[in-house]
Amino acid sequence: MTRRGQILLIIGLGLLVVGVTVFLSERRIKEYRSEQFLMDTLVSIKVYGDDAATLPAAVAAAYGEMHRIAALVDRFPAAGTEDCRRSDVCRINEMAGIGPVRVDADTLAMLLLAKKYHDLSDGAFDVTIGPVMDLWDFAGDHPKVPASQSIVDTLPLVDIESLVVNAVESSVYLRKVGMKLDLGALAKGYATEKALQALVRQGIKKALIDAGGNIRVLGSNARNAPWRIGIKDPRKADALVAIVALEDAAAVTSGDYYRYFEAGGKRYHHILDPRSGYPASENMSMTVLCPDAGLADLLSTAFFVMKVEEALPLAERLGVNLVMVNAEGRIFHTSGLAAHLEVLPGGAYRYDPR
Amino acid sequence: MTRADKVLIAAVLLCALLGLLTIYRHFFISSDQPFPKQATITVDGKVLRTIDLDPVAGNEMIQITGRLGPATVEVAGGRIRMREANCPEQICVKQGWIQAPGSTIVCLPGEIIIHIEGPAPVDAVTR
Repeated sequence: MTRRGQILLIIGLGLLVVGVTVFLSERRIKEYRSEQFLMDTLVSIKVYGDDAATLPAAVAAAYGEMHRIAALVDRFPAAGTEDCRRSDVCRINEMAGIGPVRVDADTLAMLLLAKKYHDLSDGAFDVTIGPVMDLWDFAGDHPKVPASQSIVDTLPLVDIESLVVNAVESSVYLRKVGMKLDLGALAKGYATEKALQALVRQGIKKALIDAGGNIRVLGSNARNAPWRIGIKDPRKADALVAIVALEDAAAVTSGDYYRYFEAGGKRYHHILDPRSGYPASENMSMTVLCPDAGLADLLSTAFFVMKVEEALPLAERLGVNLVMVNAEGRIFHTSGLAAHLEVLPGGAYRYDPR
Repeated sequence: MTRADKVLIAAVLLCALLGLLTIYRHFFISSDQPFPKQATITVDGKVLRTIDLDPVAGNEMIQITGRLGPATVEVAGGRIRMREANCPEQICVKQGWIQAPGSTIVCLPGEIIIHIEGPAPVDAVTR
């Protein structure tokens, strides 16, 4: 080879290397994100893919599913309005004590899930909590502590045994006049899961949905590592108690710090124990990690009202993971999480790794 | 050294430079973060203001208008908070100061979002 030939060869190889590098960098995965106020919270959806043009349509489909579920479970439209006719929960509540109502397959699925986990949690979770929620008026502008007698009088209406779900006819019936469903403890998670399924149908392989702190991730993150999900410190704004590595799963937290009011120096938060009608006082924060966001949402509420010695064994038995801060400020988690969880030092909580 | 040697060295150097530039663009430009730390205030989907969270600057009160009326955002000592807001539950006000990149204050009824830009230590926070 002549010297000139060698030079050309080297220049050629150099250009090839540069070209390939540029090509690979241009093929870097594309991100698209969008935020919407939905289901009384801020929902943020982030998706990743090679073809930027397809991402917005996938996210739009996901929001479409969330809007559809939100409309089905809305319990506050005025009777007789168009919004109430579109809401299965509104119509079921209107027909309480009168007769069954035909419902959407998703409403049916949510209610069957609710009944199943009511039984598995010994009544720690009950979607017929509506009448007692209304006494506290957490959804209104001026929540207040109800008279104890009114809670005693209303508790008989919290009775999931009187919720009749007929899967064959897709119908639902509340047997007693005055009963009210409230799917607030699982609808957001269920809608998040439906949104994720919509993304999958659109060919998305990496995504993160954050529905007001209900997290569902698809695949691994943009760096092909597990997503790093922080668990909020229940008392300190802006701080985390732990970080968990998550892939293809949901992380949902129920806490006593998000929606609450103070009266007579005492804090009253919105997660009621359906057996007493009062805010549950065992824990500050309960995070459930499992593949399904709807189940994670439901179980975070169910476990929140339970003592640690009930919640931990039940989580192990159901095959889901949890991280909790109990009322004494102690951190516990299921054993399967040890390799994926980093409890952060410097917090005001006690943690004894086992 | 012959003329051809010089051309060879120049060519190799040029290729190396181009490679370095590409690598730099690939790994550094996209993750380049503004300094100092910045917060954005978004109302109804539109970015209203971007503020430098300068740790040594004095207090600044920012008056904004959300869907439910006026609100006051306070910036001080590298931190930001919702000082007052015209909303029923006051969740955003009770949240207090935030300062970490990736942190967010949301006023749902007012459709106000305060977000601190920058690489967060986590991808999301469950709360």
